[in-house]
Amino acid sequence: MDHFPTNWGRPRNEAVDLYNTYPLHLRPDNGTYGRPKDSFEEGVQRTRQPIVTGTSVLAIKFKDGVIVAADNLASYGSLARFKDIQRLHAVGTHTVIGAGGDMSDFQHIQHDLDSLIISEFSEGDGHALGPAEIYEYLSQVMYARRSKMNPLWNSILVGGWKDGKSFLGYVDLIGTTYSASTLATGYGAYIAQPLLRKAVEGRENELTEEEAVKIVEESLKVLFYRDARSLNKYQIAIVNEKGVSISDSRIAPTEWSFAEGIRGYGAQTQ
Amino acid sequence: MSPTVGPVSRDFNPYSDNGGTILAIAGEDFAVVAGDTRQSEGYNIQTRYAPKVFRLTDKAVLAVNGFAADGNMFVKKVKQRLEWYRHAHGKDMQLRAIARMIQTMLYAKRFFPYYVYNILGGIEEDGSGAVYSFDPVGSYEREACRAAGAAQSLVQPFLDNQIYFKNQTPAIDAPFPRHLPLSHVLSIVTDSFTSATERHIEVGDGLEIYIILAKGKTLSGLGLDGVKGLSEVTSTVDDSDGSASEGESLAEGERIFVLRRELKKD
Amino acid sequence: MSIMSYNGGSIVAMVGKDCVAIASDLRLGNQALTIATNFEKVFPVTDRLYVGLPGLATDVVTLRERFRFRVNMYTIKEEREIEPETFAHLVSSTLYERRFGPYFVEPVIAGLEKGTNKPFIATTDLIGCLTLPKDFAVAGTASDKLFGVAEGLWEPDLEPEDLFETISQTLMNAVDRDAFSGWGAIVHLITPDQVITRTLKARMD
Repeated sequence: MDHFPTNWGRPRNEAVDLYNTYPLHLRPDNGTYGRPKDSFEEGVQRTRQPIVTGTSVLAIKFKDGVIVAADNLASYGSLARFKDIQRLHAVGTHTVIGAGGDMSDFQHIQHDLDSLIISEFSEGDGHALGPAEIYEYLSQVMYARRSKMNPLWNSILVGGWKDGKSFLGYVDLIGTTYSASTLATGYGAYIAQPLLRKAVEGRENELTEEEAVKIVEESLKVLFYRDARSLNKYQIAIVNEKGVSISDSRIAPTEWSFAEGIRGYGAQTQ
Repeated sequence: MSPTVGPVSRDFNPYSDNGGTILAIAGEDFAVVAGDTRQSEGYNIQTRYAPKVFRLTDKAVLAVNGFAADGNMFVKKVKQRLEWYRHAHGKDMQLRAIARMIQTMLYAKRFFPYYVYNILGGIEEDGSGAVYSFDPVGSYEREACRAAGAAQSLVQPFLDNQIYFKNQTPAIDAPFPRHLPLSHVLSIVTDSFTSATERHIEVGDGLEIYIILAKGKTLSGLGLDGVKGLSEVTSTVDDSDGSASEGESLAEGERIFVLRRELKKD
Repeated sequence: MSIMSYNGGSIVAMVGKDCVAIASDLRLGNQALTIATNFEKVFPVTDRLYVGLPGLATDVVTLRERFRFRVNMYTIKEEREIEPETFAHLVSSTLYERRFGPYFVEPVIAGLEKGTNKPFIATTDLIGCLTLPKDFAVAGTASDKLFGVAEGLWEPDLEPEDLFETISQTLMNAVDRDAFSGWGAIVHLITPDQVITRTLKARMD
C-alpha cells in the first residue's frame, strides 16, 4: 500500500473516462474544457477509443459442449443506444465468438471471419476450420493490429467443439490470449468469473447442458444488477456435436423492490 | 496530411504485464528451466495454466516472461527460424547460435521492443549445461543461474546464496562443488517457487520444470528414478503419456523431461 | 524518487528457539552516493528489546530519540521495564500521531518477553500499522529481497547459533542485490541471558 497522501490522487480522474460515462464529443479531454483548444487539432489524429460499446461476455465448458453468453445492449457512453444488438456470432460450423468493446470493430471482425470461411469453403477440399484455427487467426489479427498501433477495440471469447473436444479461448485488443474452463470479459471478469469458477472448476466433465445454462443465466443476472452498462435481454450460444446454435433473445425477470429500502444513494432526502 | 500515414492513436497502450516468474540453472551435464503457470493482469488471474517454458529443440528450452502476447509471438518466431534452419542445414541449431539469434531478433525490435525477459537453457556443443539470459532488447550473457520476472528480486539473492555459495566460506578440506547434482538443483528450484508463491501475488497455481540432459545421461544415473509427475518430451519419443520409462528411450542424443508440480492457488 | 529510499538501508528480525535476532546493514547514502558505512539502524530499548529503524536517516535519528524519551517516561511512571508488546504499541501510536505528515521510517521490533522469555518480533509501516509475524520481519530498501531469501532459509525453532547464521546469510545475500543497502552489517542475537552483537565481514561494494 502506498501511504503517501500526496500520491493518492483524487478518487476519480476527470481526464480518464474509464467506464464510458460520456460520449466521445463530450469527453473532458477533447478540447471542450480543461485543455486549450489546439489550432491544429483537426489535423491531428484523434485518440482511438471505443464509441458504441458492448459489455461482458461469459463462457464455460461443460460435459459435451461449450456455452457462450452475452446481452443485447450496445451503449453510447452511458446511453443505452442499441438494445437489440447481436454480440454472439457463429463462425463456420464448429465455432462461436462473443465480443465486448467497440461494436463497429466487432462487426468488422465478423465480416473478416465470414470472408475467411467463404474462401476456405471455396477451396472445396472438404476441410472446415475448427475453433482452434479460428482462434489462432483471430489472435494473430488482433496482435497485428495492436502492433500497428491501430487496435480492434474488443475483448473476445472463442468457444467451440470439434472432433469430440471442447475449446474455449480469450483474445483482446493488445493480443493477449489465454484458455480456461471458465472465461469472462469486462465487468464479468470481476463479478461473474468467481461465480463461474466456483460452479465449474473440477466439474467440467460432469456438468450437463441444463446445468451449464443455469450457471451462466444466474451469473448474467448478477451482472444485470451490478453492471450499469448491461441489459437483462441476452442470448446464449451452445456449441456441441450438433454444431452451433445461438438462441433467440431471452429476457431475465428482475426484482427491484429491495431498492426502495436502500439509503444513501439517489434522490431521497431522508 | 494523409489520414492513413503514421500511428493512428496517441494514448493506446500496446503493452501489459502478465506477471509470473521464470528461473534456470545450469549443471555440469544438464540444465533446468522452470516457470510458474499463472497468467495475470493486475489483481486478476486470467488463467491458472498458461505455459511460459517451451521446448525449442532436443537440447534447448526457452522461458519467456513479461507481456504474454509478445512472449507467445516471440516464441512462435524463434521456433519458425529454428525450423527454417533445420530445413536449410538438416540439423538442429546449436545452443549458442540460438542465443545469438535471439539477441538479433530482440534487437531488431529495439524501438518497439518485445516486452519480455528471456532465459534460454540447454546443452552446449561440448556437452555442458548452459543458461543464457536476455533483457528485452537483446543484451545477453551466459550464466550458471538466473531468475527473471515478477519475483526476480525474491529469488535471485536466494540463488546467489544456494548456487554460487555467496557469503559462505568453505571448510578448509571441503571446497564448494563447481556444479550441483540434479536432485539438489530441483529442490532449490521447488523451494524458490514455493517461497515466491508465498510472498508474491503474481506467482502460483502451477510449476513446470524442464530438465535437459546431455548425451548419454539417464535419469537414474542422476538419482531421479520413478519421480512422480515426470514425463519425457524429447522429440524422438512418441508417446508422452507421462511415463518416463528409463533406459528404453529411442533418443540418441540429448533428452528433455518435464516435471509438473502444484503451487498454492491463493 | 521516493523519500523512503533517499538514504537506503534494510532491517531483518527473526524468531528462534527461546531467542530472537535483529540485524541491519551499515550504509548511509545520499541517493546513489554512499556517505557513510557505519550508520547503525538498530538500537537497544531495554536489555532484551531492540528496535530497527530503516528509512529516512533524519527521521531515524529523531525517532530513536523520541522512543528513548517515551520509554524513559514509561519506566519512570510505571517503575518497571517496558515489555516488547507494549513497546510495539508505543511505536505504533507514536507513528500514527503523524498520520498525515508521517516519519518516513518502517520500524522492526525484536525482543524477549519478561519471565517467559518468549520471542517477540513486530513491524509497522510508516504510519504505525502493526504486524506480528510468527517467523521473521523485514523492512527497508531490500525488503523484497529479504522476503525471498528469508522465506527460503528460515525454519522454526532455530538454536541461537543457527539463528545467527540464518539471519546473517539472509541479510548479506539480500543487501548484495540492493544498490541502496549493504556496506557492512551488524547482528544482535538476543538470548535469555545475554545479547551477542557481531559485526559481519560483508561485501563493501
